[in-house]
Amino acid sequence: MPNPKSLIAQLHKHWDVVEALSRLSRDMPAFEPDQVLNLLAGHSSHSGSDDHRANLRSLTQSDVLQWLPRSEHLQLNPLVLDFVRGLTREHELGLSAVLKARVEAIKAATDQLNAGLQANDSDQLRRGAARLSDLFRQISLQLDQDRHAILELAEKAKASDAAIPLAKRYRAVLDAYDHYVEPMNAMMDSGVGGSFYPMLEAAEHALDAATEALSVRGALYTHRLQLRQVAYQAKELRRLGRLVAQQCADTLLPLREEARQHNNLTAAISCTLGKIRKQGLTRALSRRAELPPFPAWQRERRSRINVGDDIRAFMAEARHYEPQPADFPEAAPGAPLDMSGWLDEQAMHQALLENLPIDNLMLWLQDRYPLVPDAILLRCYHDLVRETAWQASLQADSTVTTLSTVRVTYHAHRLLPISDATRETQSP
Amino acid sequence: MNETRLDLTGLPQLSVLFKELSNGKHINRLSDPELWLALENDQQAYQNLFAALGYTLRIDGRGFAWFQHEEVSSSVSKTSRQLALLFMVIFDTQADAGQALLRFSEWQIDRALLVKAWEQHQELLYAENLDVEGLFSLLETASRFGFTRLQTGHWQLLPAVCRYLDHIEALAAQTRDAEPLDEVMLGEPLAHDDERDDAL
Repeated sequence: MPNPKSLIAQLHKHWDVVEALSRLSRDMPAFEPDQVLNLLAGHSSHSGSDDHRANLRSLTQSDVLQWLPRSEHLQLNPLVLDFVRGLTREHELGLSAVLKARVEAIKAATDQLNAGLQANDSDQLRRGAARLSDLFRQISLQLDQDRHAILELAEKAKASDAAIPLAKRYRAVLDAYDHYVEPMNAMMDSGVGGSFYPMLEAAEHALDAATEALSVRGALYTHRLQLRQVAYQAKELRRLGRLVAQQCADTLLPLREEARQHNNLTAAISCTLGKIRKQGLTRALSRRAELPPFPAWQRERRSRINVGDDIRAFMAEARHYEPQPADFPEAAPGAPLDMSGWLDEQAMHQALLENLPIDNLMLWLQDRYPLVPDAILLRCYHDLVRETAWQASLQADSTVTTLSTVRVTYHAHRLLPISDATRETQSP
Repeated sequence: MNETRLDLTGLPQLSVLFKELSNGKHINRLSDPELWLALENDQQAYQNLFAALGYTLRIDGRGFAWFQHEEVSSSVSKTSRQLALLFMVIFDTQADAGQALLRFSEWQIDRALLVKAWEQHQELLYAENLDVEGLFSLLETASRFGFTRLQTGHWQLLPAVCRYLDHIEALAAQTRDAEPLDEVMLGEPLAHDDERDDAL
């Protein structure tokens, strides 16, 4: 049997190593001496290998580390392991069955307390109370450790690589939920099915009754105090139990939901994709009244035509229109119109026919219409030359004629009546 | 007729909200926090006001709001179906990769993912004339209606996608229930729907 003091002293001296070992114990139940030596070297690099060996020896002598029977392996003392894990909140999730057994043990302890009270046996009474106190302490310790274990499970699941398949990531969470939280919830159910609260309540009543009986009977103050403290413990445990159950469910439920939802959703998507494969998109996803409405939208048509305010004002004015009488203006003598640009081309035609033959059309025009502007005169000249009612022939010599504003140099056209022209062409 | 007085000066985001919603867009808490806050603060006022204008404002607690329309044109329902297909292939691909499906807004939808989705569902997408570029343009369409948004270098799915997920889940549940039924019974309402679409 090791000396507790030396064990604690070694624990104090090599706390870092022991903490690391307790963490490693999750994956490896036992260590080779070399592994421990390496660990020792890693935590105190300045000392030599002989020192490490000496340290290992003192760790085993003080029973912090134990040799496993029939092997050369070392393991952490289970007591130490439990202690370190409790302190560093590295606990594994406990068994709900253990918790349940402890909760059920409350009943036996309460019975013992009641029996002691009935039989007026203060020793039995005290032992019952001590048992209850011990149970309460163990239960609250386990609840607290389990709470941390569950929080860690959830954190691990959430923090693990998102590429790991969900079922794998959440396996621990689902297990914890099914094997721990569900039974615990059933136990902590405040209704008929639960055992935790009724038993605690019964224990509290028994403790209160015992305290009262003892004070009536005038028992020792220390006895009454002991009972009262256990009663406080029971009340505290009730609070803690509710809190832990709540917290565990709050932590695990969303993750569990996520995993479950994931399965539902993937199943739904695969099912629908299969349907599309078989029926085509349009048929598979057509609208049905009994389903939640298929997402659809309507873009507001901005091209609607409205009568604008201007038009409304205008129409209002039009409806109330009153004609303003206005005097028609008297005829006023206007300035005489410049008629020089006006030519009676038909009359000109006629006159030309009568005056044939004409030697120089330009001179004829100038002579006959001296007031007509040059541009119009020239246009008429060109038009008349092309007429077919007479024969126009170009003269060989060029002529210069001064019109009213311009002077033209041209080969004059001579106009002959058609009959003369044919005669002229025939005669030579 | 219940008479409610609406103080429009107390709704500063009204015009923006109405413009977005009436354009068919979904307002997401994630992408339009200001508009969402406005909606949340004066939910009743907005609902009354839009109802009086003939619109049905729906607000989902998962963080999105939209105008519900009963009658939609055939081109819209075609686009919507294609969007449903797009989201389904993305979700299916991600599910195969073991991603957490309900945390879809954390995914980075990039070309690599779309190519993977396309390769996995080639057959289906061929039938709908969709290639990888087509999927990209669908993502862009989806962003106009508030289902996705473009982040730096990738697309992000927004909570409004839950509308599709709900529909798909309901459809799958119905399909499972209707499994023993005759195929004809399933076919009947569909034919009617197609006719209606054609008529439009």
